[in-house]
Amino acid sequence: MLNYIVKRILIFIPTLFVISLITFMLSVSVPGDPVEQILGGGGSAGEIGQSSSRLASEQSYIDKRRELGLDLPVFYLSLSNAATPDTLYKIYRKPHHDNLEQLIQLYGNWDYIQNYYLSVQKLDLAISDLATDSLNAEAKIGMRDEIFTLFNQSQPSLVQSALGRMKEHIASSSSMGGISDEMQNTLDSYNDMILNATPYKNYIPQFHFYGTVNQYHRWITKFVVGDFGISYQDGRPVKEAVWTAVGKTLLISVLSIILTYLIAIPIGVFSAKNKNNLADQIVTTILFILYSLPSFWVATLLITFFGGGDFFDWFPTYGLGNEGDSFLEKAHHLVLPLFCWTYGGLAFVSRQMRGSMINSLSQDYIRTSRAKGVSETAVLWKHAFKNSLLPVITLFASVFPMAISGSIVLEIIFSIPGMGKLAFDALSARNYPMVYTVVMFSAVVTMLGYLVADICYAIVDPRISYSNKK
Amino acid sequence: MEPVQLKQDYWSYVKRQFKKNKRAVFSGWMVLLLMTIAIFADFIANEKPLAFKDESGWNFPIVKEYGVKIGITEWPSAWNNLKWAEKEYQSVIFPLIPYSPNTQDYRNAQFASPFEPQDIESKRWRHWLGTEALGRDVLSAMIHGTRIAFMVGFVSMFLATLIGVVLGSMAGYFGDDRLKMSRASILWFIILIIPAYFYSLQSRTHLLSNAIGESFLLFLFQLVVSIIIFVLFMVGVWVLSRPFKRIKWLGQKVSIPVDIVIQRLIEVLVSIPGLFLIIAIVAIAKPSIMLIMAVIGLTSWTEIARFIRAELLRVRNLEYIEAAHALGFSNIRTLFKHAIPNAISPVLIALAFGIAAAILIESFLSFIGIGIPPEVLTWGKLLSLSRSAPWWFAIAPGFAIFIMITLFNLLGEGLTDALDPRQKR
Repeated sequence: MLNYIVKRILIFIPTLFVISLITFMLSVSVPGDPVEQILGGGGSAGEIGQSSSRLASEQSYIDKRRELGLDLPVFYLSLSNAATPDTLYKIYRKPHHDNLEQLIQLYGNWDYIQNYYLSVQKLDLAISDLATDSLNAEAKIGMRDEIFTLFNQSQPSLVQSALGRMKEHIASSSSMGGISDEMQNTLDSYNDMILNATPYKNYIPQFHFYGTVNQYHRWITKFVVGDFGISYQDGRPVKEAVWTAVGKTLLISVLSIILTYLIAIPIGVFSAKNKNNLADQIVTTILFILYSLPSFWVATLLITFFGGGDFFDWFPTYGLGNEGDSFLEKAHHLVLPLFCWTYGGLAFVSRQMRGSMINSLSQDYIRTSRAKGVSETAVLWKHAFKNSLLPVITLFASVFPMAISGSIVLEIIFSIPGMGKLAFDALSARNYPMVYTVVMFSAVVTMLGYLVADICYAIVDPRISYSNKK
Repeated sequence: MEPVQLKQDYWSYVKRQFKKNKRAVFSGWMVLLLMTIAIFADFIANEKPLAFKDESGWNFPIVKEYGVKIGITEWPSAWNNLKWAEKEYQSVIFPLIPYSPNTQDYRNAQFASPFEPQDIESKRWRHWLGTEALGRDVLSAMIHGTRIAFMVGFVSMFLATLIGVVLGSMAGYFGDDRLKMSRASILWFIILIIPAYFYSLQSRTHLLSNAIGESFLLFLFQLVVSIIIFVLFMVGVWVLSRPFKRIKWLGQKVSIPVDIVIQRLIEVLVSIPGLFLIIAIVAIAKPSIMLIMAVIGLTSWTEIARFIRAELLRVRNLEYIEAAHALGFSNIRTLFKHAIPNAISPVLIALAFGIAAAILIESFLSFIGIGIPPEVLTWGKLLSLSRSAPWWFAIAPGFAIFIMITLFNLLGEGLTDALDPRQKR
């Protein structure tokens, strides 16, 4: 047994490694720019104002990026193609990066693409430095829109029409003439890029090796020693945020598990005792319906009817109350979420209990004790019940991981700041450190849960053996 | 009692057992009924008439629309941006519900209630389940939502079954010792897997992801091309390793721990919170129903694989498999012709429950507004709209999701009882 447990835990390590890889790669591929999210102002942060202030904000962007380690290559090695330069990851601003990738896909000649990109940047800066007067204000705004297109679009038709409109804008006002050189430069470099296209280079594989200076290495080495990093969203340590969230989730799920077992076990025993008669059928049907009710529908209905919609304003529907609230106040907040958390599991546990009870009641020792004249109550509760309780208790091990990682669905609907909501929010805000930690944490708990479940099964049922028989 | 000659083979037995379960049979019929609604949704709820007569004679715009889609006719330009309800006809037959899911009835916008008088000409034009904020008919959206729900359930579970059966049966049948490869093949495999990945997937990522947004057929075509490229590389492994097999050390066969690898893969998928995985993948690509179906399929095959693995672990030591081996049948043939058909019954059960789960996941995703394009109205999205709507709005879509899930769960229960002889009473 000990042997088995040690072996299982050793197997955890490669599994966790793979999970860390998947989480990392997935989060990095989710579109959006974490740095812009932190600095605020979305895509416009560095694209408005005079060139000096723009350069300053550009610099703060670069600094922030370096501070977060996002300027490093993503992984130890990369497989790309001959058309993609191994320094592409250095291009900051994710939309620009993505657009350059598209251009590479189309034309496959990095030198020319780089030229074009630089010329657009220069043009962009030149536009900012143009003094605005009443004649060119409109043209300037128009130019900026087109620049945005150039930075974000790769389709030849879109780019060409944008370039065409830019030429019109420049011709429209004499003071726009100051940037005609930059404009011409952009046009030339764009045409060069198209004329010298080598898209076949996209089909020549190329390996790059970056060594240990990469984002993944930086994250995982810190993670292993327990440094989970700082949340991008509010600058708090991730560890702290996760602990708070686990507390909230555990509060609800532990209460709900206790409730579930308290209600489900008597129901299960009751249906097993009355197996297949009317009462059992009614109970089973009701439980089946509960089991199939989608929890987000029930939650929505409860909020509509009891949360101050058109009907009763009985329960608060938002969060779990404040820090200093009284016990009653908190309990008040808990009523609706607890109900939604509990009713589905109720059906599941009581079905298991019923099955397990029926199984026990058909055993020989029950017949023997009935033959001995043991009272029906004693048979039921002393003999059958005790023996059928164990499998239901082992269910606990598989329920536990869910209890910790929380319910994304319900936590979103009731705005409960637990683990599920934390994961969801972190993912939508590209809060990478938080995403990694929550997912790794849930994964470890889940795997431990399965291990405990397996061990429980072995303890409960001695016929199961995990030793190697060959 | 008159003796009845009952067919004794397994599936006739299963059929009889299944028919005994009244609830499951009823659900089966209900599912068929809902499927009919889903298939004929365009003819049941549509703003265009089924048929109408004007100067040019009889016209069938809905049928014509199908013709346009497959490219055999063209849409008359006079019908563009036409207000069908206000057009003058000599005679006309409108569908049962004369609204498309996207028809905006301005006169009944802002949640026209089903219980109050609506601003309509006659009962024929009533919004039986009300309208939403833009005046779109809820009942019509519900009917068309049936189609999406079925599509999501069936397509994603088809994908999940495909992956689950292949991987699960490989794990169960080969175990850790039955699949043997020569060292030469393994070496060539390791060398060629990188270019195989590069040419079949990486260099085609743009093509594939663009195709997902375009159409299902195009995506399927690109996928098949990718698979063919990959298979060609694998053939390459076979061809290239042949001459090396003559060298003694390279020719020796080593067993591949198939089971361990696949078990770990399942463990990885199960350990990552499922919805997180789905939300992350869906967030990467452009919203489309295709993508949702693919992602649900890719993440929900583990149950099926585990079922079939357990069955095959049991089956593989049975006598008839050994007999097949003794007769000299190849591994593949024994696996697909003999072992899997005998292990397929638990998969049917997992499939029924899986469809219910897939429909639930899809409605949840549209509920939180992830992955479904904005113009498509699904049950989940209707439900999400209800948060800023009167109370009656939440009832219909939630009830539809509930009914659909219940029906498939009941079917699953019926199948469990019918397929598992141990439960025979």
